Amino acid sequence: MSIEVQYRDRAKELLAKGEVKLVIGYGGGSTPNRRRPVFASSPEEVDRLVLDSLCIANLSGYLVTEGLLSDEKKVAVFLRPEGIRSINILAAENQLNADQVVILGFETAGSDIRPLEGGNVLDFSEFIVTLSENRVVSDSDPVIDKLENMSAQERFSFWQDEFSKCIKCYACRQACPMCYCRRCIVDCNQPQWINTSAHTLGNFEWNIIRAFHLAGRCVECGNCDRACPVNIPLRLVNRRMAVEALNSFDHFAGLSVTQEPVLASFKKDDTETFIL
Amino acid sequence: MSEKFEPKIVAFVCTYCTYAGADLAGTSRLKYAPNVRMVRLPCTGRISPMFILKALQKGADGILISGCHPGDCHFTHGNYHARRRWMVFRSLLDFIGIPTDRVKYSWISAAEGVKFAELINTITEEIRALGPFTQYHGLIEETQSQASL
Ligand code: SF4
Ligand code: SF4
Repeated sequence: MSIEVQYRDRAKELLAKGEVKLVIGYGGGSTPNRRRPVFASSPEEVDRLVLDSLCIANLSGYLVTEGLLSDEKKVAVFLRPEGIRSINILAAENQLNADQVVILGFETAGSDIRPLEGGNVLDFSEFIVTLSENRVVSDSDPVIDKLENMSAQERFSFWQDEFSKCIKCYACRQACPMCYCRRCIVDCNQPQWINTSAHTLGNFEWNIIRAFHLAGRCVECGNCDRACPVNIPLRLVNRRMAVEALNSFDHFAGLSVTQEPVLASFKKDDTETFIL
Repeated sequence: MSEKFEPKIVAFVCTYCTYAGADLAGTSRLKYAPNVRMVRLPCTGRISPMFILKALQKGADGILISGCHPGDCHFTHGNYHARRRWMVFRSLLDFIGIPTDRVKYSWISAAEGVKFAELINTITEEIRALGPFTQYHGLIEETQSQASL
Protein backbone atom coordinates (compact mmCIF):
# COMPACT_ATOMS: atom_id res chain seq x y z
CA MET A 1 0.00 0.00 0.00
CA SER A 2 1.47 3.35 -0.98
CA ILE A 3 2.15 5.87 1.75
CA GLU A 4 -0.38 8.21 0.13
CA VAL A 5 -3.21 5.67 0.46
CA GLN A 6 -2.07 4.71 3.92
CA TYR A 7 -2.10 8.32 5.14
CA ARG A 8 -5.39 9.10 3.44
CA ASP A 9 -6.96 6.16 5.26
CA ARG A 10 -5.53 7.37 8.51
CA ALA A 11 -6.80 10.90 7.91
CA LYS A 12 -10.23 9.56 6.99
CA GLU A 13 -10.39 7.49 10.13
CA LEU A 14 -9.36 10.40 12.34
CA LEU A 15 -12.10 12.58 10.86
CA ALA A 16 -14.76 9.85 10.80
CA LYS A 17 -14.19 9.00 14.46
CA GLY A 18 -14.24 12.68 15.33
CA GLU A 19 -10.77 12.50 16.82
CA VAL A 20 -9.74 15.58 14.88
CA LYS A 21 -11.83 18.41 13.49
CA LEU A 22 -9.52 19.21 10.62
CA VAL A 23 -6.73 17.65 8.59
CA ILE A 24 -4.16 19.97 7.05
CA GLY A 25 -2.35 18.32 4.17
CA TYR A 26 -1.22 18.82 0.59
CA GLY A 27 -3.18 18.82 -2.64
CA GLY A 28 -2.50 19.41 -6.31
CA GLY A 29 -1.23 22.89 -7.14
CA SER A 30 -1.39 25.24 -10.08
CA THR A 31 1.19 23.25 -12.06
CA PRO A 32 1.93 19.50 -12.00
CA ASN A 33 5.03 19.94 -9.86
CA ARG A 34 3.46 22.17 -7.25
CA ARG A 35 1.54 21.32 -4.13
CA ARG A 36 -0.76 23.57 -2.17
CA PRO A 37 -2.26 23.21 1.28
CA VAL A 38 -5.59 21.40 1.59
CA PHE A 39 -7.85 21.71 4.61
CA ALA A 40 -10.15 18.72 5.01
CA SER A 41 -12.85 18.82 7.65
CA SER A 42 -14.88 15.80 6.49
CA PRO A 43 -13.87 12.26 5.40
CA GLU A 44 -15.09 12.97 1.84
CA GLU A 45 -12.63 15.81 1.39
CA VAL A 46 -9.72 13.56 2.29
CA ASP A 47 -9.57 12.19 -1.26
CA ARG A 48 -8.13 15.49 -2.40
CA LEU A 49 -5.01 14.84 -0.35
CA VAL A 50 -1.79 14.11 -2.18
CA LEU A 51 1.43 12.88 -0.61
CA ASP A 52 4.63 12.60 -2.59
CA SER A 53 8.15 13.98 -2.66
CA LEU A 54 6.89 17.33 -3.98
CA CYS A 55 5.18 18.03 -0.65
CA ILE A 56 7.87 20.22 0.85
CA ALA A 57 6.13 23.18 2.48
CA ASN A 58 6.09 23.35 6.25
CA LEU A 59 2.38 23.43 7.12
CA SER A 60 2.76 23.99 10.85
CA GLY A 61 2.16 27.75 10.53
CA TYR A 62 -1.53 27.19 9.84
CA LEU A 63 -1.97 25.81 13.35
CA VAL A 64 -1.45 29.21 14.91
CA THR A 65 -4.26 30.74 12.86
CA GLU A 66 -6.24 32.85 15.28
CA GLY A 67 -8.87 30.81 17.08
CA LEU A 68 -8.17 27.50 15.34
CA LEU A 69 -7.16 25.63 18.47
CA SER A 70 -9.10 27.66 21.03
CA ASP A 71 -11.96 25.13 21.14
CA GLU A 72 -9.48 22.55 22.44
CA LYS A 73 -10.31 20.14 19.64
CA LYS A 74 -7.52 18.40 17.79
CA VAL A 75 -6.15 19.07 14.36
CA ALA A 76 -4.09 16.66 12.27
CA VAL A 77 -1.31 17.97 10.08
CA PHE A 78 1.12 16.50 7.57
CA LEU A 79 4.65 17.36 8.64
CA ARG A 80 8.17 16.73 7.54
CA PRO A 81 10.92 16.60 10.20
CA GLU A 82 11.38 20.40 10.14
CA GLY A 83 7.65 20.79 10.67
CA ILE A 84 7.77 18.54 13.71
CA ARG A 85 10.55 20.73 15.09
CA SER A 86 8.38 23.81 14.52
CA ILE A 87 5.64 22.22 16.63
CA ASN A 88 8.16 21.86 19.45
CA ILE A 89 9.12 25.51 19.16
CA LEU A 90 5.52 26.75 18.96
CA ALA A 91 4.71 24.68 22.05
CA ALA A 92 7.83 25.83 23.89
CA GLU A 93 6.89 29.43 23.11
CA ASN A 94 3.33 28.82 24.35
CA GLN A 95 1.72 29.39 20.98
CA LEU A 96 -0.14 26.10 20.97
CA ASN A 97 -0.85 23.05 23.07
CA ALA A 98 1.09 20.23 21.44
CA ASP A 99 -1.48 17.68 22.64
CA GLN A 100 -4.01 19.19 20.25
CA VAL A 101 -1.81 18.39 17.27
CA VAL A 102 -1.91 14.96 15.62
CA ILE A 103 1.17 14.61 13.46
CA LEU A 104 1.11 12.70 10.21
CA GLY A 105 4.88 12.58 9.84
CA PHE A 106 6.85 11.74 6.75
CA GLU A 107 10.32 12.13 5.44
CA THR A 108 11.64 12.45 1.91
CA ALA A 109 15.01 11.61 0.41
CA GLY A 110 15.17 12.43 -3.28
CA SER A 111 12.00 11.01 -4.75
CA ASP A 112 11.65 8.45 -1.96
CA ILE A 113 9.12 9.12 0.73
CA ARG A 114 8.75 7.26 3.93
CA PRO A 115 6.39 7.49 6.90
CA LEU A 116 7.52 8.51 10.37
CA GLU A 117 5.83 6.56 13.13
CA GLY A 118 3.91 8.49 15.76
CA GLY A 119 1.09 10.93 16.35
CA ASN A 120 1.84 13.15 19.33
CA VAL A 121 4.94 15.30 19.04
CA LEU A 122 6.51 13.43 21.96
CA ASP A 123 6.54 10.24 19.86
CA PHE A 124 9.16 11.86 17.66
CA SER A 125 11.53 12.90 20.45
CA GLU A 126 14.14 10.25 19.74
CA PHE A 127 13.99 10.90 16.03
CA ILE A 128 14.69 14.61 16.56
CA VAL A 129 17.54 13.90 18.93
CA THR A 130 19.10 11.78 16.17
CA LEU A 131 18.61 14.66 13.73
CA SER A 132 20.37 17.06 16.07
CA GLU A 133 23.29 14.67 16.50
CA ASN A 134 23.76 14.26 12.77
CA ARG A 135 23.52 17.99 12.29
CA VAL A 136 26.56 18.66 14.41
CA VAL A 137 28.87 16.92 11.95
CA SER A 138 27.29 18.10 8.74
CA ASP A 139 26.73 21.79 9.23
CA SER A 140 29.05 23.23 6.61
CA ASP A 141 27.60 24.69 3.45
CA PRO A 142 29.75 25.48 0.39
CA VAL A 143 28.11 28.86 -0.33
CA ILE A 144 28.42 29.94 3.30
CA ASP A 145 32.06 28.91 3.33
CA LYS A 146 32.62 30.92 0.18
CA LEU A 147 30.96 33.97 1.72
CA GLU A 148 32.94 33.63 4.93
CA ASN A 149 36.18 33.63 3.01
CA MET A 150 35.32 36.96 1.42
CA SER A 151 36.28 40.28 2.96
CA ALA A 152 33.53 42.14 4.83
CA GLN A 153 33.39 44.58 1.95
CA GLU A 154 32.78 41.85 -0.62
CA ARG A 155 30.15 40.26 1.56
CA PHE A 156 28.45 43.63 1.91
CA SER A 157 28.38 43.99 -1.87
CA PHE A 158 27.01 40.47 -2.24
CA TRP A 159 24.13 41.24 0.11
CA GLN A 160 23.67 44.69 -1.35
CA ASP A 161 22.99 43.04 -4.71
CA GLU A 162 20.62 40.56 -3.14
CA PHE A 163 18.75 42.90 -0.82
CA SER A 164 18.39 45.61 -3.46
CA LYS A 165 15.95 43.20 -5.13
CA CYS A 166 13.67 42.90 -2.09
CA ILE A 167 10.27 44.47 -2.65
CA LYS A 168 9.14 44.26 0.97
CA CYS A 169 6.23 42.03 0.09
CA TYR A 170 6.72 40.26 3.46
CA ALA A 171 6.00 36.90 1.84
CA CYS A 172 8.95 35.51 3.80
CA ARG A 173 7.28 36.56 7.02
CA GLN A 174 3.89 35.31 5.93
CA ALA A 175 5.25 31.89 4.94
CA CYS A 176 7.28 31.37 8.09
CA PRO A 177 5.66 29.33 10.88
CA MET A 178 7.87 31.10 13.40
CA CYS A 179 6.71 34.59 12.35
CA TYR A 180 3.47 34.53 14.28
CA CYS A 181 3.56 37.98 15.90
CA ARG A 182 0.25 39.78 15.50
CA ARG A 183 2.13 43.00 15.07
CA CYS A 184 5.53 42.68 13.46
CA ILE A 185 8.25 45.12 14.49
CA VAL A 186 8.31 46.61 10.99
CA ASP A 187 4.65 47.49 11.32
CA CYS A 188 5.24 49.39 14.55
CA ASN A 189 5.78 53.06 13.86
CA GLN A 190 5.96 54.72 17.25
CA PRO A 191 8.95 54.79 17.04
CA GLN A 192 9.81 53.47 13.65
CA TRP A 193 13.02 51.47 13.98
CA ILE A 194 13.00 49.88 10.57
CA ASN A 195 12.62 51.78 7.32
CA THR A 196 9.45 50.54 5.72
CA SER A 197 10.41 51.73 2.25
CA ALA A 198 11.75 49.10 -0.11
CA HIS A 199 15.01 50.90 -0.75
CA THR A 200 18.19 48.97 -0.20
CA LEU A 201 18.79 50.49 3.23
CA GLY A 202 15.29 49.55 4.37
CA ASN A 203 15.75 46.09 2.91
CA PHE A 204 19.01 45.58 4.79
CA GLU A 205 17.31 46.56 8.02
CA TRP A 206 14.31 44.35 7.39
CA ASN A 207 16.29 41.29 6.48
CA ILE A 208 18.75 41.73 9.34
CA ILE A 209 16.01 42.09 11.91
CA ARG A 210 14.03 39.16 10.56
CA ALA A 211 17.14 36.97 10.61
CA PHE A 212 17.88 38.07 14.15
CA HIS A 213 14.37 37.34 15.38
CA LEU A 214 14.63 33.86 13.90
CA ALA A 215 18.07 33.08 15.28
CA GLY A 216 17.85 29.82 17.19
CA ARG A 217 14.20 29.43 16.17
CA CYS A 218 14.45 28.81 12.44
CA VAL A 219 14.13 25.13 11.55
CA GLU A 220 15.37 25.67 7.99
CA CYS A 221 12.18 24.44 6.39
CA GLY A 222 12.83 26.76 3.45
CA ASN A 223 9.30 28.23 3.34
CA CYS A 224 10.63 31.80 3.25
CA ASP A 225 13.24 31.05 0.64
CA ARG A 226 10.67 29.46 -1.67
CA ALA A 227 8.14 32.23 -1.04
CA CYS A 228 10.51 35.06 -1.94
CA PRO A 229 9.41 36.33 -5.36
CA VAL A 230 12.84 37.73 -6.17
CA ASN A 231 14.83 34.70 -5.04
CA ILE A 232 16.93 36.22 -2.30
CA PRO A 233 18.90 33.30 -0.80
CA LEU A 234 17.36 33.72 2.65
CA ARG A 235 18.39 30.15 3.45
CA LEU A 236 22.01 31.30 3.74
CA VAL A 237 21.29 33.74 6.54
CA ASN A 238 19.02 31.26 8.28
CA ARG A 239 21.63 28.54 8.05
CA ARG A 240 24.34 30.85 9.35
CA MET A 241 22.20 31.73 12.36
CA ALA A 242 21.38 28.08 13.04
CA VAL A 243 25.08 27.24 12.97
CA GLU A 244 25.75 30.12 15.36
CA ALA A 245 23.12 28.91 17.83
CA LEU A 246 24.55 25.41 17.63
CA ASN A 247 28.21 26.32 17.92
CA SER A 248 27.90 29.04 20.54
CA PHE A 249 25.10 27.73 22.70
CA ASP A 250 24.73 24.10 21.68
CA HIS A 251 21.16 24.93 20.69
CA PHE A 252 19.36 22.89 18.06
CA ALA A 253 16.07 24.66 17.37
CA GLY A 254 12.98 22.61 18.10
CA LEU A 255 14.56 19.81 20.09
CA SER A 256 11.67 19.42 22.54
CA VAL A 257 8.49 21.04 23.81
CA THR A 258 10.33 22.21 26.90
CA GLN A 259 13.43 23.61 25.21
CA GLU A 260 14.20 27.13 26.41
CA PRO A 261 14.35 29.73 23.63
CA VAL A 262 18.01 30.45 23.04
CA LEU A 263 17.76 34.22 23.31
CA ALA A 264 15.48 34.14 26.33
CA SER A 265 17.89 32.11 28.40
CA PHE A 266 21.57 32.27 29.27
CA LYS A 267 24.39 30.51 31.02
CA LYS A 268 26.73 32.38 33.32
CA ASP A 269 29.68 30.90 31.46
CA ASP A 270 28.48 31.64 27.93
CA THR A 271 31.46 32.26 25.69
CA GLU A 272 32.61 35.82 25.16
CA THR A 273 35.62 36.43 23.01
CA PHE A 274 34.94 39.89 21.74
CA ILE A 275 33.92 41.97 24.76
CA LEU A 276 36.54 44.54 25.68
CA MET B 1 43.61 70.08 1.96
CA SER B 2 40.61 68.10 3.08
CA GLU B 3 39.65 68.22 6.72
CA LYS B 4 40.70 65.42 9.02
CA PHE B 5 38.03 62.75 9.21
CA GLU B 6 36.19 62.81 12.51
CA PRO B 7 34.34 59.55 13.08
CA LYS B 8 30.83 59.60 14.51
CA ILE B 9 30.55 57.06 17.26
CA VAL B 10 27.38 56.21 19.13
CA ALA B 11 27.71 54.57 22.54
CA PHE B 12 24.78 52.72 24.06
CA VAL B 13 25.48 52.36 27.74
CA CYS B 14 23.67 51.18 30.83
CA THR B 15 23.01 53.79 33.45
CA TYR B 16 24.27 51.80 36.45
CA CYS B 17 27.78 50.94 35.30
CA THR B 18 29.15 52.40 32.11
CA TYR B 19 27.29 55.69 32.36
CA ALA B 20 28.47 56.04 35.92
CA GLY B 21 31.96 55.14 34.72
CA ALA B 22 31.75 57.88 32.12
CA ASP B 23 30.57 60.23 34.82
CA LEU B 24 33.58 59.32 36.91
CA ALA B 25 35.83 60.00 33.93
CA GLY B 26 34.22 63.43 33.72
CA THR B 27 34.45 64.30 37.40
CA SER B 28 38.06 63.06 37.42
CA ARG B 29 38.69 65.54 34.60
CA LEU B 30 39.97 62.82 32.27
CA LYS B 31 40.13 63.90 28.68
CA TYR B 32 38.74 61.68 25.98
CA ALA B 33 37.85 62.00 22.32
CA PRO B 34 34.70 64.08 21.73
CA ASN B 35 33.57 61.79 18.89
CA VAL B 36 31.28 59.70 21.03
CA ARG B 37 27.58 60.37 21.53
CA MET B 38 26.26 58.57 24.56
CA VAL B 39 22.81 57.09 24.79
CA ARG B 40 21.92 56.10 28.32
CA LEU B 41 19.65 53.13 28.88
CA PRO B 42 18.47 51.42 32.05
CA CYS B 43 20.33 48.17 31.35
CA THR B 44 22.28 46.38 28.62
CA GLY B 45 19.28 44.06 28.45
CA ARG B 46 17.37 47.08 27.13
CA ILE B 47 19.80 47.61 24.25
CA SER B 48 17.99 46.20 21.27
CA PRO B 49 19.88 45.35 18.08
CA MET B 50 17.49 47.77 16.42
CA PHE B 51 19.29 50.61 18.19
CA ILE B 52 22.47 49.61 16.39
CA LEU B 53 20.67 49.59 13.06
CA LYS B 54 19.18 52.98 13.84
CA ALA B 55 22.59 54.43 14.64
CA LEU B 56 23.94 53.10 11.34
CA GLN B 57 20.88 54.45 9.57
CA LYS B 58 21.70 57.89 10.94
CA GLY B 59 25.25 57.72 9.64
CA ALA B 60 27.34 56.38 12.52
CA ASP B 61 30.82 55.14 11.61
CA GLY B 62 31.25 53.15 14.79
CA ILE B 63 29.19 51.90 17.68
CA LEU B 64 29.99 50.99 21.25
CA ILE B 65 27.75 48.97 23.49
CA SER B 66 28.74 48.79 27.08
CA GLY B 67 27.40 47.75 30.44
CA CYS B 68 28.13 46.16 33.80
CA HIS B 69 30.55 43.28 34.12
CA PRO B 70 28.93 39.83 34.31
CA GLY B 71 27.63 39.33 37.81
CA ASP B 72 27.32 43.08 38.47
CA CYS B 73 24.06 43.81 36.66
CA HIS B 74 21.72 45.99 38.68
CA PHE B 75 18.89 43.74 37.50
CA THR B 76 21.00 40.63 38.25
CA HIS B 77 21.04 39.12 34.76
CA GLY B 78 20.22 41.71 32.11
CA ASN B 79 23.77 41.63 30.86
CA TYR B 80 23.80 37.84 30.56
CA HIS B 81 20.83 38.05 28.21
CA ALA B 82 22.50 40.92 26.38
CA ARG B 83 25.69 38.94 25.93
CA ARG B 84 23.88 36.11 24.13
CA ARG B 85 22.11 38.59 21.95
CA TRP B 86 25.37 40.34 21.00
CA MET B 87 27.01 37.06 20.23
CA VAL B 88 24.32 36.21 17.69
CA PHE B 89 23.89 39.74 16.37
CA ARG B 90 27.61 40.21 15.95
CA SER B 91 27.95 37.13 13.77
CA LEU B 92 24.85 38.17 11.82
CA LEU B 93 26.31 41.61 11.08
CA ASP B 94 29.59 40.00 10.14
CA PHE B 95 27.83 37.62 7.75
CA ILE B 96 25.96 40.51 6.13
CA GLY B 97 29.25 42.36 5.66
CA ILE B 98 29.05 45.01 8.38
CA PRO B 99 32.61 44.87 9.75
CA THR B 100 32.88 43.62 13.33
CA ASP B 101 35.55 46.31 13.87
CA ARG B 102 32.86 48.95 13.71
CA VAL B 103 30.64 47.58 16.44
CA LYS B 104 32.41 47.17 19.77
CA TYR B 105 31.28 45.75 23.06
CA SER B 106 32.70 46.29 26.51
CA TRP B 107 32.12 45.87 30.20
CA ILE B 108 32.88 49.03 32.17
CA SER B 109 31.95 49.38 35.82
CA ALA B 110 31.14 52.58 37.70
CA ALA B 111 34.67 52.58 39.10
CA GLU B 112 36.39 52.30 35.75
CA GLY B 113 36.50 55.92 34.67
CA VAL B 114 40.03 55.47 33.37
CA LYS B 115 39.10 52.39 31.37
CA PHE B 116 36.21 54.33 29.86
CA ALA B 117 38.34 57.28 28.80
CA GLU B 118 41.04 55.01 27.37
CA LEU B 119 38.56 52.82 25.52
CA ILE B 120 36.88 55.80 23.90
CA ASN B 121 40.26 57.04 22.75
CA THR B 122 41.32 53.68 21.32
CA ILE B 123 38.00 53.09 19.60
CA THR B 124 38.02 56.57 18.11
CA GLU B 125 41.50 56.01 16.71
CA GLU B 126 40.55 52.59 15.35
CA ILE B 127 37.45 53.89 13.62
CA ARG B 128 39.36 56.88 12.35
CA ALA B 129 41.84 54.45 10.78
CA LEU B 130 39.00 52.52 9.17
CA GLY B 131 37.63 55.72 7.69
CA PRO B 132 33.99 56.62 7.16
CA PHE B 133 31.59 53.71 6.68
CA THR B 134 31.15 54.59 3.01
CA GLN B 135 29.37 51.40 2.01
CA TYR B 136 26.57 52.06 4.45
CA HIS B 137 26.56 55.80 3.79
CA GLY B 138 25.99 54.89 0.15
CA LEU B 139 22.77 53.15 1.11
CA ILE B 140 21.67 56.18 3.09
CA GLU B 141 22.38 58.57 0.23
CA GLU B 142 20.37 56.42 -2.11
CA THR B 143 17.30 56.95 0.07
CA GLN B 144 17.67 60.70 -0.28
CA SER B 145 18.03 60.80 -4.03
CA GLN B 146 15.12 62.03 -6.08
CA ALA B 147 12.95 59.46 -7.76
CA SER B 148 13.74 59.12 -11.43
CA LEU B 149 10.68 59.51 -13.60
S1 SF4 C 1 12.89 31.54 8.59
FE1 SF4 C 1 12.34 30.46 6.69
S2 SF4 C 1 13.37 28.48 6.85
FE2 SF4 C 1 13.33 29.37 8.91
S3 SF4 C 1 11.48 28.55 9.88
FE3 SF4 C 1 10.92 30.52 8.93
S4 SF4 C 1 10.17 29.95 6.89
FE4 SF4 C 1 11.29 28.17 7.67
S1 SF4 D 1 9.88 37.53 0.44
FE1 SF4 D 1 11.76 38.34 -0.49
S2 SF4 D 1 11.09 40.24 -1.53
FE2 SF4 D 1 9.46 39.69 -0.10
S3 SF4 D 1 9.98 40.83 1.79
FE3 SF4 D 1 10.89 38.78 2.00
S4 SF4 D 1 13.00 39.04 1.26
FE4 SF4 D 1 11.83 40.81 0.51
